[in-house]
Amino acid sequence: MSVDHLTAEQESLQRPPAEVRYADELAALRAEDTGPRPPGWALSLRAARRFVVGDEESRVSRKFVGNPSLVDRALVTLATNRGLMLVGEPGTAKSLLSELIAAAVSGTSTLTVQGGAATTEDQIKYGWNYALLVSEGPSKRSLVPAPMLRGMAEGQVVRFEEITRCPPEVQDCLLSLLSERVVAVPELEGPEGMVFARQGFNVIATANTRDRGVNEMSAALKRRFNFETVFPIPDLDTELALVEAEATALLARSGVTVAPERDVLEVLVGTFRELRADGGGQPDRLSAVMSTAEAVSVAHAVGVRGWFLRGEAGSAADVAACLAGTAAKDSPEDLARLRRYLEQQVSRRRGPQWTALYDARHLLDG
Amino acid sequence: MGGRVRFLGVRHHSPACARLVADTIAELRPAYVLVEGPADMNGRLDELLLGHDLPVAVFSHYRDADRAATSWTPLCAYSPEWVALTAGRAAGAEVSFIDLPAWHPAFAERTNRYAEAELRYARATERLCERFAVDSVDALWDRLFEVEPADGLGERLDAYFDLVRGDAEAEPGDVAREAYMASWVRAAVRAAGGRPVLVVTGGFHTPALRGLAGADAGAPGGTVTDGWPEVPVPGVGALAGSYLVPYSYRQLDAFAGYQSGMPSPGYYEQVWERGPEEAADALVRAVTGRLRARGHPVSTADLVAARALTEGLTLLRGHSRPARTDVLDGLASALITDDLDVPLPWTGRGELAVGTHPVVVEMVAACSGDRVGRLHPDTPAPPLVHEVAALLAVLGIRSDRPLTLDLGSGRGLERSRVLHRLRVLGVPGHERVAGPEHGADPVFTERWEPADRTGRDAALVEAGSYGARLDEAAAAALTERARDAGREGLAGALFDAVLCGVDAVSDRLLSELASGVAELKDPGALGEVLATALGLWRHDRVFGAARGRLLGAVVSGAALRGLWLLEGLRGAPGVDLGRLRAVVALRDACAYAPELVPVPREAVAAAAHRISRDEEAPADLRGAAFALHRTLAQPGDGRMPHGNDRAPEAGATGVGAASTAAPGATPDANATAGTGVAPDTGATADAHAAPAAAATGCTLGGVPEDARTGTGDEPGAPSVSRAAADEVLALGRGGEFLGDWLAGLFAVARDQVARAVGPAGGGSLVGVLDSLVGAMSDEEFLVALPSLRQAFALFPPRERERIARQLLERRSLRGSARSLLRTGADPLVVARGRTLERSVDDLLVRHRLDAARPRTDRTAHEGAPE
Repeated sequence: MSVDHLTAEQESLQRPPAEVRYADELAALRAEDTGPRPPGWALSLRAARRFVVGDEESRVSRKFVGNPSLVDRALVTLATNRGLMLVGEPGTAKSLLSELIAAAVSGTSTLTVQGGAATTEDQIKYGWNYALLVSEGPSKRSLVPAPMLRGMAEGQVVRFEEITRCPPEVQDCLLSLLSERVVAVPELEGPEGMVFARQGFNVIATANTRDRGVNEMSAALKRRFNFETVFPIPDLDTELALVEAEATALLARSGVTVAPERDVLEVLVGTFRELRADGGGQPDRLSAVMSTAEAVSVAHAVGVRGWFLRGEAGSAADVAACLAGTAAKDSPEDLARLRRYLEQQVSRRRGPQWTALYDARHLLDG
Repeated sequence: MGGRVRFLGVRHHSPACARLVADTIAELRPAYVLVEGPADMNGRLDELLLGHDLPVAVFSHYRDADRAATSWTPLCAYSPEWVALTAGRAAGAEVSFIDLPAWHPAFAERTNRYAEAELRYARATERLCERFAVDSVDALWDRLFEVEPADGLGERLDAYFDLVRGDAEAEPGDVAREAYMASWVRAAVRAAGGRPVLVVTGGFHTPALRGLAGADAGAPGGTVTDGWPEVPVPGVGALAGSYLVPYSYRQLDAFAGYQSGMPSPGYYEQVWERGPEEAADALVRAVTGRLRARGHPVSTADLVAARALTEGLTLLRGHSRPARTDVLDGLASALITDDLDVPLPWTGRGELAVGTHPVVVEMVAACSGDRVGRLHPDTPAPPLVHEVAALLAVLGIRSDRPLTLDLGSGRGLERSRVLHRLRVLGVPGHERVAGPEHGADPVFTERWEPADRTGRDAALVEAGSYGARLDEAAAAALTERARDAGREGLAGALFDAVLCGVDAVSDRLLSELASGVAELKDPGALGEVLATALGLWRHDRVFGAARGRLLGAVVSGAALRGLWLLEGLRGAPGVDLGRLRAVVALRDACAYAPELVPVPREAVAAAAHRISRDEEAPADLRGAAFALHRTLAQPGDGRMPHGNDRAPEAGATGVGAASTAAPGATPDANATAGTGVAPDTGATADAHAAPAAAATGCTLGGVPEDARTGTGDEPGAPSVSRAAADEVLALGRGGEFLGDWLAGLFAVARDQVARAVGPAGGGSLVGVLDSLVGAMSDEEFLVALPSLRQAFALFPPRERERIARQLLERRSLRGSARSLLRTGADPLVVARGRTLERSVDDLLVRHRLDAARPRTDRTAHEGAPE
């Protein structure tokens, strides 16, 4: 990623949005984009696709590691009148994908509703500035538009993160919005009382399968979305490379000057993959999430431990020590499963780092 | 000379390539058409062209002292090779297969001749997939060739295969084949004398062939007679052959990994016949029809959405016509409103994974199609048909009379195996009416009766596609079954493999069964498989399976899996005999087949220890794990303390017997417990002493505990028993927990416990239990009674008697231990009576009437009736 164009203010941000981070690429793609654009889109479908899956020739980086066909389906869905629902285990880069797609399609990824148990309709459609409301009565000035209303009025893609964390009745306020493509503001009179969606408006929702899941969504709402399941990275090498790159970057930012050892990362990623897999010697999955993102954070912790405690890159023993806190979290069942895995499965592995991991299994108890 | 040779590099089973072949033959009018295919079939091409219903396959088999191999050369209507064969003939060209015979070592490890070679050279294709941003080679192929208009196809194919072959270092097998095929090309060019020659081979070989064919005629590549290369013949003592078998789209689609060709034969047949647009429509129709037939709603709105998505995807991906993945992706997006457990199968390669969404399963099935080929009646029968006829004649198996076979005799076993092999191949004719039902069934005769023989010949020909020999064919069929059967059918497939005696034949069967075991989720089922496999592995003399690789692999996998499952087990209280059986099986595996258990003995012991300490594990499992830990932790040669090499089934049977004994009214140690309300029994034994049923003194603590004068003859026995006693005290829990825990203990270490309580034995466990039970309140005792009964039911009557005698001894009483075990009434009735009485008491107490009623339940404490 090139960051030289960032302003000083943007540079101080912990994490600028995708349209800022990749502003150069977006600009370049827009400049040479000759393909037909769906109404209201900032880029053509093909250019948007290149932005997400990368294109060596036009020096667009690959930002999403996963099946390109998933991106195809997602983009085409957004060009139709159905919303896009990204489901999958936590940590499978659903939010990243939705951010990238929103940045490509609308040029902005910040129209975001963060779903949660306390999310209300106000935060989705609109609320009021109560001081103004009291003094002036309902008016456009006293109305505070929430992301959905803004997205509709401006013809942009709205992201709804973790939609299944919201109570079903709150979720259902999307129903009319998605089918009629209009929001009524009964408090306002005249034409202002109806906000019609402009071309380019659509919704990308994400939901993770570990929360209440999509089963509790109403069938009516389900029908208004096309579902795309995002899977963990299927092959070891890709995941290992990703973990290595991300962990190295994180460690550098934490002031660790040695890169993580590849052997150790291999053991770490291998462990994560086996604990994640269902079947093949692994009957009951951990309730904790063994995602790539989680692997990166363990790799980060391992590196920090090794460097600040001993002045070297982290070892397999550090992996054992970090697994308890990062992977098992506070669940005693997970800890037991993790121990069982180390005792029974790792003991059969060959290779010095695997042996080291096995020998360090007592560290699991902290 | 190169100008007169046209090389066509094709992808096997590609309709676009098939069309190109047909067009080229029409345009070129070649004198010779050379096709990648087994050269040893050249003399029998007429057989291929008899007019079969495609798909058919040339099935080749080979066996010598060192190796055995089988492979298929599948042909369907849209195979470029098939089109070259038929169109070439029709155009008057001389058509020849030019590749090495399938038995040639160049094909080692290959089961599908028409697998796509580029899959084995993944680097180039991976790069291409990344460059075009597609998921898989199949999607890439569709995009570049199947949906593109035909003009310039030849050039594009050349460019593609040049790139794929590019820097790849060909495997030795490919090098040998290419050298041989090149020698045919050179010979054909010579013979053609300037007339055109067309060479149709897999595109991966074309770049190399071009170079080799232009080379000097003297280059190595086989000897030449009459101007044509000689067809290699198998060495002396080797059995090899090729013949035609009917094939099916299902089989064609089922090759996986390096063996696979193009997927979705049903869909590509439509592409071949009607083109991509109509094939897409037909696919949507087929999927819709299948889903609706299954009761899955597919609304018109869904279909509209699917259509819109497909069109969008087609445009986005730059296809001029909808490709297979465009249609499938559109349907999947529109029809699936769930999260998926496994990725969409067309985003990768390989067999359908477990957990595939049912809608996706139907979609893949619709793509696959269900066409089944049929051979022309004049086709020579495959050798299996002849082999079976000869075998039946030699073994004297007649189709019209019943057979009773003694499995103990060599001939009886041989005949049984032949009949079983026919059975697993689905060849009708005989039916087994009696015989061993499972691995531990002590039945040594089998009875077979004649059955309906309809369809026998057809079934035999079909079975011929599994192999040339009956044992190989049966092994292949069982492999397929083990793969498809899922978890339930695993033990059955395993036993069938033993019955058929094919375990030594097939590595694939081995790995299928072993990997099936690794996916079992129920400890009970796993224990069953492990016990059966271990029993056969150790003892089987009848079927000759003892110490066999197959059973060894299954024992290995099951032991590892069992340990894994048991340590994670949570569950309802109560005794689950299934999981106890699994612990017993694990114990036996560690004791009798340590070399097969992939985890060190100490690790098993440690795991058992952890389970026994796990507060959340079920009590019976904790007891069993405790016993397992103690058994394994004992020093020794790794054998069980009782070196009498008792068959492990006995342990399992013990558990099984207990399950039948427990609920019944069988007299046992606990049966004497409680009478009180059964006035007709006369004898009113102490209701308080569950195993210590009879004596009165016990609860008063008058009997010295150290009455033991000697220990059992095995060092391990008392230690287990004593440790168990300590553990019971340490756990300090009564009620159901105690009974369940003991059931687990007895299931695994009954022998040791029984020995330890021998007539003169230490009896510390019994002592501890005696005191514990004696100290229970009425309430507690009633709660504990059923589970205690169940636990002690695990002892056979003789051992129960020994325990009873010991109880008498503890109280320094004389009397018959056996009569102690007999009661005049069903103890459960007695227990129910006591419960009733108890609640009456409670009522009386509540209404302050208790003082009026004399206590009757503990009036008399008498010794055992004598």
